[in-house]
Amino acid sequence: MSWVIGVDVGGTFTDVVGIAPDGREWLAKAPSTPGDQSEGVLHGLANLAVAAGLTLGELLGATARIVHGTTVATNALLERRGARTAMLTTEGHRDVIAMREGLKPARYDLRLPAPIPLIPRALRLPVRERLRPDGRVETPLDAGSLAAAIRTLREAEVDSVAICFLHSWRDDRHEKLAAEAVRAFLPHAFVTCSAEVLPEIKEFERFSTAAVNAYVGPVVARYLTRLEARLREAGFGGPVFVILSHGGVAPISEAVRLAAATALSGPAGGVAAAVELARRGLGTELVTFDMGGTSTDIALVQEGAAALGRGREVGGERIALESLDIVTLGAGGGSLAHKGAGGTLQVGPRSAGAVPGPAAYGAGGTEPAVTDANLVLGYLDPGRFLGGARKLDRDAAREAVARLGAQFGIDAEQAALGIHALVNARMADGVRVATVRRGVDPRGSVLLAFGGAAGLHATEVARDLGMARVAVPLLAAGLSAWGMLRTELRAQVTRSVLGTEAMPEDHAIAALFAGLEAEARARLSGWVEGDIATSRGAEMRYGEQVFEIAVPLDGVEPTRDGLRAAFAARHRALFTYDLPGEEVVLVGARAAARAALPAGAVASLPVDTAAPLPPRRILLADGWVEAPVHDFSGLPDGAEVAGPAIAESATTTVLLRPGDVARMDGRGWLEIAVA
Amino acid sequence: MDAVALAVLEARLSAIVAEMGEALLRTAYSQILNSSRDFSIAVTDAEARLVAQADHIPVHVGAMPFAARAVLDAFGPAMQPGDIFLLNDPWHGGSHLPDLTLVLPVFAEGRALFLCVVRAHQSDIGGATHGGYNPGATEIWQEGLRIPPIRLGEDGTIRPDLLAMLALNTRIGRDFTGDLMAMLGAARIGAQRLAALAEKHGAGAVMAGVAQVLDLSEAHARRILAAWPDGTWSGEAVLDDDGHGHQDVTIRATCTKAGDTLTVDLSASDDQVPGFVNSSRPNMHSAVCMAFAYLLDPEVAKNDGAFRALKVIAREGSVVWAREGAAVTLCTSHCSNEIVEAIIRAMQHCVPDRAMGGWGRRFRIAITGEDARRSGRRFVWHLFHARPGAGGHALGDGWNTAGEWHSAGGLKFGSVEMAEARFPLHFRRHEFLAGSAGRGTHRGGVGAELHLMIESAGPAFGNTAGDGARHGSAGICGGEDSPPHRYELVRPDGTRRVLRTKETGIRLEPGDMLHVRSAGGGGWGPPDRRAPVLIALDQVEGLA
Repeated sequence: MSWVIGVDVGGTFTDVVGIAPDGREWLAKAPSTPGDQSEGVLHGLANLAVAAGLTLGELLGATARIVHGTTVATNALLERRGARTAMLTTEGHRDVIAMREGLKPARYDLRLPAPIPLIPRALRLPVRERLRPDGRVETPLDAGSLAAAIRTLREAEVDSVAICFLHSWRDDRHEKLAAEAVRAFLPHAFVTCSAEVLPEIKEFERFSTAAVNAYVGPVVARYLTRLEARLREAGFGGPVFVILSHGGVAPISEAVRLAAATALSGPAGGVAAAVELARRGLGTELVTFDMGGTSTDIALVQEGAAALGRGREVGGERIALESLDIVTLGAGGGSLAHKGAGGTLQVGPRSAGAVPGPAAYGAGGTEPAVTDANLVLGYLDPGRFLGGARKLDRDAAREAVARLGAQFGIDAEQAALGIHALVNARMADGVRVATVRRGVDPRGSVLLAFGGAAGLHATEVARDLGMARVAVPLLAAGLSAWGMLRTELRAQVTRSVLGTEAMPEDHAIAALFAGLEAEARARLSGWVEGDIATSRGAEMRYGEQVFEIAVPLDGVEPTRDGLRAAFAARHRALFTYDLPGEEVVLVGARAAARAALPAGAVASLPVDTAAPLPPRRILLADGWVEAPVHDFSGLPDGAEVAGPAIAESATTTVLLRPGDVARMDGRGWLEIAVA
Repeated sequence: MDAVALAVLEARLSAIVAEMGEALLRTAYSQILNSSRDFSIAVTDAEARLVAQADHIPVHVGAMPFAARAVLDAFGPAMQPGDIFLLNDPWHGGSHLPDLTLVLPVFAEGRALFLCVVRAHQSDIGGATHGGYNPGATEIWQEGLRIPPIRLGEDGTIRPDLLAMLALNTRIGRDFTGDLMAMLGAARIGAQRLAALAEKHGAGAVMAGVAQVLDLSEAHARRILAAWPDGTWSGEAVLDDDGHGHQDVTIRATCTKAGDTLTVDLSASDDQVPGFVNSSRPNMHSAVCMAFAYLLDPEVAKNDGAFRALKVIAREGSVVWAREGAAVTLCTSHCSNEIVEAIIRAMQHCVPDRAMGGWGRRFRIAITGEDARRSGRRFVWHLFHARPGAGGHALGDGWNTAGEWHSAGGLKFGSVEMAEARFPLHFRRHEFLAGSAGRGTHRGGVGAELHLMIESAGPAFGNTAGDGARHGSAGICGGEDSPPHRYELVRPDGTRRVLRTKETGIRLEPGDMLHVRSAGGGGWGPPDRRAPVLIALDQVEGLA
């Protein structure tokens, strides 16, 4: 038996969850290190080792596997700090990613600013070559034009190159040849071929995804390589897996190759955790509310499952890979309050981050953060923040809040109440975007609050939306990292089906799926030992349609008739009708291999039997009250706590207002009935 | 309903129309729908008031209730659950003949609550020429098959004999049938969702909520209007021609903003003309709604309430409101775009920061022929590539190749790879066109250059239908007009001919090339105030 460890790097803190050989779960935190996230990861692991009474070397030596969620790609896209990227593309077609097929979002906003492409026009370089849709080479790859383009790449000192040729979905030989040449002349460049990222027809989706991959690839590669080296140095010999946007995990080599698929890696762990808690009986309809220091992620779990989509945009860029549907707000516990241009109190979007942090850190921060306001209001214990690892300076927080209040002619307490209420309203708006704007009534769902800062705000957010139930997991502050240990490994192999016939012969269909399944299985068995399950599916459409539908084929005979019948049934279910007698086309086939990551035993958290905590004076809208403080990791199953009260664990604090009643659920969470 | 319930209801209605649109997009057979999204979806109440509308094609925004109204007028009390209605005639609820509209009533607790309205532009609608647009037409009977509101089916099932008759009257009956089934599927999905909504909350509560939603939108629109200066301003816009010798056909708008209402009077526009640039009344009304929506904040919900503050005055017999029997097919593009342009030219004096430079004019070509790869199967292909640029505005340059005013970035040209795989066409070049934008403090978006080779089996035939080869996209608030469109036919022997915007029967041999240079958008604000850094950037990017 050995340890397994999940690592979630947030904007402010890096959370590390370890499952020990005896099944106990441990949580440790360290400040994130934005310059090089791997430093914070190592600090977090060191803290975990200390908590478990081991040296870092002993811990890592006994660790079988590390699963990691990273925001490196996301940040590079949002802050436009990716690699200096160029594109080689078919001559005469260099504006594909900028034209966006003529579509503009926000139909009635004619003054919406035009987007700036990730790769400027001057670095989208034409290469003479051309394939036809049937794979025929009309114009062979022209060595002269390729050499000229590569010269420009060298002069421009690019770090990354996307190679995007028309019809490479059918035959990628020109992309491969060009990639070879680029690698020969720019050995250090990161090279992305569009057909390797997304081997599908429709050039905008393919080129845009490839451009994103090229833009974030070097940044992700640099980071993960450095992380792996540091872990090896510290004594870790096992595999590192990265959680991808679709919620599955893959090894580092795959996360680098398909860097665009890590764009939602950060919040994916939280969604995986929510799905696991739904499975454990929390409820099938959940709204995840993951409030960290710098940002807040909100997602829906419906009927126990998280929604997946393929049209995801991050930072305005299309990534046509499968991904979870997550709404991200740029505000959290570290968001700074200030007087806005309109003369009103504002919170965010700037954040104190880990350095200098809120004024209460005493590390040079002078502007009040949400955390400072919460401290002034008595909601946080200055001696127990992060389990006592970070002492907070209440006077410094008070000074910062008072300075802001003075600009409005109000005292520190009133200003703190205002900041707290304002951030609650923003959070509620975020939940509205994820639910109400999608036509989902949140009132039937449980608000699952996690991340370090959510507990103080969740009940007010729920009240604002009319949601009656809030759940705060024991492991609130590390839930995303915990969720990463509950995901499955997944390798998916897809193939465009070529040929002039709408549908191959029966024997060819059987051979196609058997081959795909073997390939998926082989790829996965290189990553993990253990049981592997496979599933099959196809992309099919009627002859004149251009959009395929995904047809699950598990249990379906791999024959023409079997596929046609499965397609007709799926078409009817989705669109209310089918068209008997019409030509059915098999466009793509896929097989997925899945393996569960062996997880530790069911949560049995370290029970902290600390002495009862002294009550605290907290300021609510009606005035100061004395609130009892409970250590909620020590509450027995079924214990109830009525508000006003504070429930604290080592890494999170839950505020119960008058009328709120919290009940400890032995399955691992505090459930709150909101007044 | 309380505020949360109301917000959920409004969003649920929007989600339903969006889902219907997604279903139609994914199932339709013809390129014009499944690749270019030329369709719109709306839900009205049983009084034909617009309740919700998806963000598809803005020129349909104010026209859909006319279709619902026409069905109610024709069938009203006789309407039964399971009925399927269809229409396209511009004097019976339609805008122009290619836009086929399917209407499905939604019943609950024994009464009709809603109508699901699905409008989709057909690849062909019969008539004298392929592709729905006949520049030679001088009366509507030459433009295609006229369909007043008919009961296409009962008990949820289409009558096969009626469907066969309609399909037989179009050139690509297979696509027509596939598209009609897709429209029905989309409408059924909407009907199921709306019925579930009524089931859950009760019909009375839902309809009371709908009334509240409409009132809130009205208040929203009026609040915005009230903040604008009062006054009366005029503007005009000029069409190239009607294709029958009438040049510079002029639309004139007089706009009066008073308190929280806006009155748009188009009575001074030119008389109707023989060619198909005339507008039907629903289309004219809708074009005015579209311009109004562009000037308001984008967040205002597009429903009946939002348009209550708008008053529209026009004169029957004018080019914006032709008498029954006139040719009108081009009207959803032209003169719709000129109606918007005239209104924006007037309103630039009232709200210059909300006005925008002209979005490009539509210039389409529809090609029919046979594909050697799919022998014996005829195709009709509509040009959506080489889109024109969007207009500049107070906040920045226009979007490149985002299209025309009537669609505002809602029409997609679709994948070049997909077009080559499905049609005998070869896209030699499809890129931004330098120098195509109207100059301004904020320039228009650029247009595009397209070199398209015809590879049909034997000769193919093309029709053009459009405008803007003489007049570019309008400059506004001191900005300049863009250069106009230029489309050329280039033969293998090098001979070239400039195509007119309204031609039929253009013979295209395999190997012939179309060279398209589309106009950019109009500029906003005086060009000499353009920031030097933006000028330099355009040079580096090769767009100047």
